[in-house]
Amino acid sequence: MEGRPLDEQELVERAREGDARAYEALVRRYQDLAFRTAYVIAGGAADAEDAAQEGFVKAWYALPRFRAGAPFRPWLLAIVANEARNRRRSGRRQDDLALRVAEDRPSGDAAPSPEAAALAGEQRRLLLAAVGRLGEADRQVIACRYFLELSEAEMAAALGCRRGTVKSRLSRALSRLRAAMAEPGGGAGGQLPMTRLPGGDR
Amino acid sequence: MSQRELDLERALADLGASLQFPPTPDLAATVTARVEESPARATTRPRSTGRLLRRPHDPSRMWWWPRRAGWRRLAVAGLAVVLLAAAVLIASPGTREAVARRLGLRGVGVRIGGPPPPTVTTTPGTRLDLGLGERVTLAGARRRVGFPILVPAAAGLDRPDAVFVDEAVPAGGRVDLVYRARTGLPASPFTDAGLLITEFRGQPTPEFLKKVTVMGVVQEVTVGGEPGYWFSGAPHFFTYRDARGDLREEQTRLAGNTLIWQRGDLTLRLEGELSKEEALRIAESMR
Repeated sequence: MEGRPLDEQELVERAREGDARAYEALVRRYQDLAFRTAYVIAGGAADAEDAAQEGFVKAWYALPRFRAGAPFRPWLLAIVANEARNRRRSGRRQDDLALRVAEDRPSGDAAPSPEAAALAGEQRRLLLAAVGRLGEADRQVIACRYFLELSEAEMAAALGCRRGTVKSRLSRALSRLRAAMAEPGGGAGGQLPMTRLPGGDR
Repeated sequence: MSQRELDLERALADLGASLQFPPTPDLAATVTARVEESPARATTRPRSTGRLLRRPHDPSRMWWWPRRAGWRRLAVAGLAVVLLAAAVLIASPGTREAVARRLGLRGVGVRIGGPPPPTVTTTPGTRLDLGLGERVTLAGARRRVGFPILVPAAAGLDRPDAVFVDEAVPAGGRVDLVYRARTGLPASPFTDAGLLITEFRGQPTPEFLKKVTVMGVVQEVTVGGEPGYWFSGAPHFFTYRDARGDLREEQTRLAGNTLIWQRGDLTLRLEGELSKEEALRIAESMR
């Protein structure tokens, strides 16, 4: 039995040396992140699975070229996201971000009343719909930041852009989202419907 | 930063926390199986599908494990198939990995585990769209595809009742031989046919049989000295990849006992209400 779980750097080092078990542990650790990132970019679960699987396999082969001590996540995400983009370009239909808002997941500390929960759910759905109406680039940068909670470096890797442009891209996307929320049918008549959401202390 | 901006960001973070992504598939098992069975990690990994196709059989390595370089080329696509079945083999992770490692033929990808497809359009007893191509004569099919079509030499099976060809899916074309039910060849509740034989030139990518989620029994077999697999014990599902390369789960159908094997660079699939021995006898007789 191993005393403690190996940390990421040890796993990466072992995998670099050809230890498939160590790599398996890395895949297990990051498969959620990789699959979801691929999903955000490719826009479909089947393509996302292909992209994540292929990305992990390619990353294995590329590991000897991975710079020791560098952060693993952005490196991996760049590979997976590239696979996801290739699949998207292969001409699939655009069923982007067919994500669902969970009904049973209040984000506040105190359990909200059923009415408040329903209201919060509706507000989330409106916001999600508005995100869905954005262009691909805006949608992806928002999803990477707020849905996947990627760091700036990871966002740059996933979106295939320079780190310096991530912030401005996000800021433009937020402006357009705000405008979209204000459009008729885009939210609550120009008023941001999310201002009364419970929680928000994240 | 203004209050409005902060509110929007908070709302997005709150939305992110409540979002449901599709369930993550078990990539760790699949990826590990692929990297363990591939040639030792060398400076470059093989990329040319053409080279892989012509590589002679070397049982010491899983050269036929599908590798998927060049996905973007797949507008022409292939027919990918998801074979799904229920739970026996996935009981222990050890078994599961062993199976994931062993399974696979050229053009055949495997995933053990995971939920069945959401939509199954065909169930036992219903008429089905077998996803066959254009109906042609056997001679016509031979002119249309770029590989020699094999036909069972076993009694009465040298002349299929119907022959279908699809030149585009998967790339390189595909032929389906259909035999009506008869004595010794009971009608399959899944195909209505006594026997359905599919032949295609197996490409390492895209997979014809994309994933396998095993519920029934999968046995490793040898057909004419080459690797094959026998699926039995429970129906499995399979899903075609359409001409654009999309995996269309609405095309999923149920399948009964099935033998899949390799012959040179051909991958063959035989489905019917047969015993393993009968299926093997027919497969071995194919010329």
